[in-house]
Amino acid sequence: MFLSKLREALICLKAGRVTLGYPFTPHEPKPGFRGKVTVDTDLCFGCGGCANVCPAGVIVVSDQEPRQRVLEFYWARCTYCGKCEEVCPEKAIRLSQQFETATDTPQDMYMRLEVLMGPCQRCGRCFPPPTVLDRMMKTGFRNSSEGGRA
Amino acid sequence: MDVIDQRTITTVKEAVAARSDGALLSVTQPHPDTLYFAIDKRAMPAVVDGLVNEMRARFMISVGTDKRPVTGEFAILHLFSLDREHLYILLESPVAEEDLRIASITGVVPGANWAEREYRDAIGVHPEGHPDPRRLLLADDWPEGVYPLRRDFPYNYQPPPAENVRPQLREPPAGASVLPMGPFFPVLEEPAYWRLFVEGETIVGCDTRIFYNHRGIEKLGESVLTYNEIPYLAERICGICGFIHSTCYCQAVEKAAGIEAPRRARYIRTIMLELERIHSHLLWLGIAGHIIGFDTVLMQTWRIREPVMWLCEEISGNRKTYGMNTVGGLRRDLPNQIKPKLMETLAEVEKEAIAVRDAVVGDTTLHARTKGVGVLTNEWAKKICTVGPPARASGVAIDARIDHPYAAYDEVPPQIATQEAGDTWARVLVRVGELLESIRLVREALSAIPEGPICAEIKEEIPPGKVGVSVVEAPRGEAVHFVLTGGDNRPYRWRVRAPTYPNLQALPAMILNETIADVPITLGSLDPCFSCTERLETIDRRTKEVRIYSRADLLEMSRGKARRRGAP
Repeated sequence: MFLSKLREALICLKAGRVTLGYPFTPHEPKPGFRGKVTVDTDLCFGCGGCANVCPAGVIVVSDQEPRQRVLEFYWARCTYCGKCEEVCPEKAIRLSQQFETATDTPQDMYMRLEVLMGPCQRCGRCFPPPTVLDRMMKTGFRNSSEGGRA
Repeated sequence: MDVIDQRTITTVKEAVAARSDGALLSVTQPHPDTLYFAIDKRAMPAVVDGLVNEMRARFMISVGTDKRPVTGEFAILHLFSLDREHLYILLESPVAEEDLRIASITGVVPGANWAEREYRDAIGVHPEGHPDPRRLLLADDWPEGVYPLRRDFPYNYQPPPAENVRPQLREPPAGASVLPMGPFFPVLEEPAYWRLFVEGETIVGCDTRIFYNHRGIEKLGESVLTYNEIPYLAERICGICGFIHSTCYCQAVEKAAGIEAPRRARYIRTIMLELERIHSHLLWLGIAGHIIGFDTVLMQTWRIREPVMWLCEEISGNRKTYGMNTVGGLRRDLPNQIKPKLMETLAEVEKEAIAVRDAVVGDTTLHARTKGVGVLTNEWAKKICTVGPPARASGVAIDARIDHPYAAYDEVPPQIATQEAGDTWARVLVRVGELLESIRLVREALSAIPEGPICAEIKEEIPPGKVGVSVVEAPRGEAVHFVLTGGDNRPYRWRVRAPTYPNLQALPAMILNETIADVPITLGSLDPCFSCTERLETIDRRTKEVRIYSRADLLEMSRGKARRRGAP
């Protein structure tokens, strides 16, 4: 009885203080942490692959006008699985190291991205050109004044 | 994988044929370890009786499927396992829409009680002769005659809420008083309402109402998500054994579709599963200490547990929902440079775990609170088909890792520990033993892990109409996933049975004639969790001011916000 209590006391004493200083000291997640999703709007060419694989339905794609595709992101639904990052051909969508995502403004949980597209001459629907080179050749794909790379 | 003895298959086939008395419709063997019998529903109890009492088969779960779009009928499937022979036996009976009844098997297998009530609620096939045919799955205000797992039921239908409904609960025996425990009680993992019938301090019976947390996950999987989206949902079935459920689901689909996950993926799955067992058992040990007011154990085991969580975060990118599994293998490899760190953490955890074990094993407080408390006899453990540590603590030597080897357990087999006493102390000992065994298994798997791809290439679409049964030994016991493949890139039926499902059914037998004070730890010894904190603490990082909001403050804040937004 007494011996086991002594042992327990020893375990506690040996451990000392183990709690982290967070939030007074910053907490860095480990590399490879799947945090808040970020989108590099300049790189996105609107293929919609991310919307296709997202299990939680965060990303909604709609072609509202000719030459324009709208990607809406409902971040509140995100489960941080990282499927979007996996399929993005342009590495436009990435999972960051950011984990402090609490907010009290609902607008923070929504993002709207309008991408200029090359529409099909027959049906008028948007389609992503197949290759990077093609995209560069396509007029009107991305407004160069916006500073996009392609 | 162990080779299944051809003689066993012949014996089972003969036994079923003899008991079914000409009602056997067909016998198939979709996988080497799965026997699939279609029998007429009138022969079901006799066949089940033969399997359970002569072949020593263990009932796992029932699956009710609305097969009307395919065959025009409903189907009730009972899953059995022949543990020593590594064989699954599936008994299916078609049930015509005109006569929605099937003979209940609960009289033969008491463990089928909830499973039968569940298919009654879900698809509306009535188990005739069921001793306790009350509602189980659906909410109390759910309208009668609306069956959510039927194919023509839309997944997003919301029935109107009803007023003044209450669970159908039994009245206490004459002379006994009622002591309610729950629906929210700090020991319970999920909201569950236990109605204890007491005479003085002694429990003379109990009744229960659970499934407050029913989230319609199976329906979502069958109607909205696709094969490769379900693992992320499966992972969220349980807050502790997430990887177990996603692995189990992926294995079931892989089996149904005939996909072979690469060896490396199987080894990594084994490592993650065992890491999960390590942190789950440490968590449990702490909670068990907490329940009996021995908080030193809680603090220290959780301290030991935390490095394991960090390790999981480093491997997978998140401390709990790993998101690693996908049909055919894994999405994320185990980086080789993490191996030394893994070994180091394991060594540290092992050292500390042994220190804690040596301390608690001799602790008289723990002995006084757990020895002889909540005894589950071997007979009842078998009758109720209990799984996992509660079963092993009652001398039922079953472990899915040995009985139905999956992942890499055929090459790194675990040593399982059993106890005979069946009390809470025995369950403590079984879990502590498993904890140390898991550390050994991770080490062994790490040293034997082969190089190679981590995901199989899936070239063809998954064919419809195939079945796959998969089990995974979760820290709490055996999890079962059953998948019937369908078109539209999603399962036709996906059935999940978590280990607590059979184990909770054993509680009435365990707490009978115990005292009230022993109920929480008895329940805790099955599978505990802690309820959420009542308040919220905020810290201003700049001023370092700490403010604690009370419940009233929070209510006022949320109402104020709703008013500002113009909500009603």
